[in-house]
Amino acid sequence: MPDIAAIVAWEVKGFLFTLFAMVALKLLTGEINMGYLFYGRKNDTGQPIVGADGKMLGRKRQDTPYFSPERVQLLVFTLAAAFSYLTQVLNNAHPGTLPPVPDSWLAVLGGSNLVYLGGKAYSRLWPASPGAHEQETL
Amino acid sequence: MATLSILCGYLICGFVGLLGLAVLWRIFDGTIDLSRLISEPTGDASMSRFQFLIFTFVIALSLFLVIVAGKNTDCKICKPALPDSIPTGILSLLGISGSSYLVSKGIQYSDPSGVADRPVTVTIMPSTVLVRYSQSQQFQAEVTRKPDSKVQWAVVAGPGSIDAETGLYRAPAVAPTEPGPQVYATVKATCVEFPDATDLAVITLA
Repeated sequence: MPDIAAIVAWEVKGFLFTLFAMVALKLLTGEINMGYLFYGRKNDTGQPIVGADGKMLGRKRQDTPYFSPERVQLLVFTLAAAFSYLTQVLNNAHPGTLPPVPDSWLAVLGGSNLVYLGGKAYSRLWPASPGAHEQETL
Repeated sequence: MATLSILCGYLICGFVGLLGLAVLWRIFDGTIDLSRLISEPTGDASMSRFQFLIFTFVIALSLFLVIVAGKNTDCKICKPALPDSIPTGILSLLGISGSSYLVSKGIQYSDPSGVADRPVTVTIMPSTVLVRYSQSQQFQAEVTRKPDSKVQWAVVAGPGSIDAETGLYRAPAVAPTEPGPQVYATVKATCVEFPDATDLAVITLA
C-alpha cells in the first residue's frame, strides 16, 4: 500500500498543476475575459459630446477607455517577480524552507503598484475635460 | 486502533481526491464558469485581480514544492513537512498585492460609473457588405465581456440563407430577371447565453 503522505502529495500536485494548466489555457484562448486588461477608464460618463461645429451631439453613456502604460508595467514587474521567485524555489539550497524574497523586489513591486494606483486615481478622480472625446460612441 | 486510523486516512484521501476531480471536471465542462475570473463588475478585465491570481498560484506552487521536498537534505525518502516559518518577504508580497487591490477598488467604487455593469455586446464584422448573387459571405461576431459565448445567426429580412452556427451567408442563386429596386438582406447575430445581446449586418445584393 502506498504511503498516505505520498497519495496526498500526488493529489495536491495533480490538482494544482491541472488547475494552473486549465486557467493558463483559458487565459490564452480567451475563454477567460481579458478584454480591456491594459485599459483604464476616464471618469466622464454623462459629459456632453461636442461636435466640430460646437453643437452638443449628446452625452456619453459610459466612461471612455484609454490605453494605460501603468497597467503594462505592473504586469511586466509582476510576471518578472513571479518567475524570479519560482526560479529561487526550484533552485533552493535549503529544501523544506521557503526562500526569502529580496527586499529589492519588494521595493520594485511596491513602486510599480504605486504607479498603477496613481494612474488609476488620476483617471477616475480627475474627470477629463468636456468635449475631449467627440469620437466616442453616444 | 492504528488500522482504523490508517483506514480513515485513506478514506479522507479518496474523498479529497474525488472532490478535487469534481472541481476540475466542472471547470472543464463549464459548470464552474471562469470567464469573469479576473473581471470587474463592469465586465472589464482587472489588472489587480490578475496580479493577485499570479501571486496566489506562485505562492501555492512554491509552498507545495517546499512541503513535498521535506526537511532533510541527506535522506533518501524525505517525509513531507511544513516549513518552520513563512518569510516576511512573502507576506509583504501578498500584502502589497492585496493592499493594491483594495485601494484600487476603493478608487473605483468612489464613483457610481466605476461599478456600473456593462452588458455583453455582439458586434458583426463586416457590418455592411456587397454580395453577388450565388456568392457567399462569411460573417464574424465578436462577443465582448463573454468571449466564449456562442452566437446564433439568422437572416431576418431579405433573400438568402445563413448557417446558424458558422455565420456563412449564401446569396440566392438566381438574380431577379427584371430590373427593380436594390435588394437588401439583413443578418442578425444573437448571443445564445444573453439573447438581448444582438447585432445586425446589412447585405447589398448585386
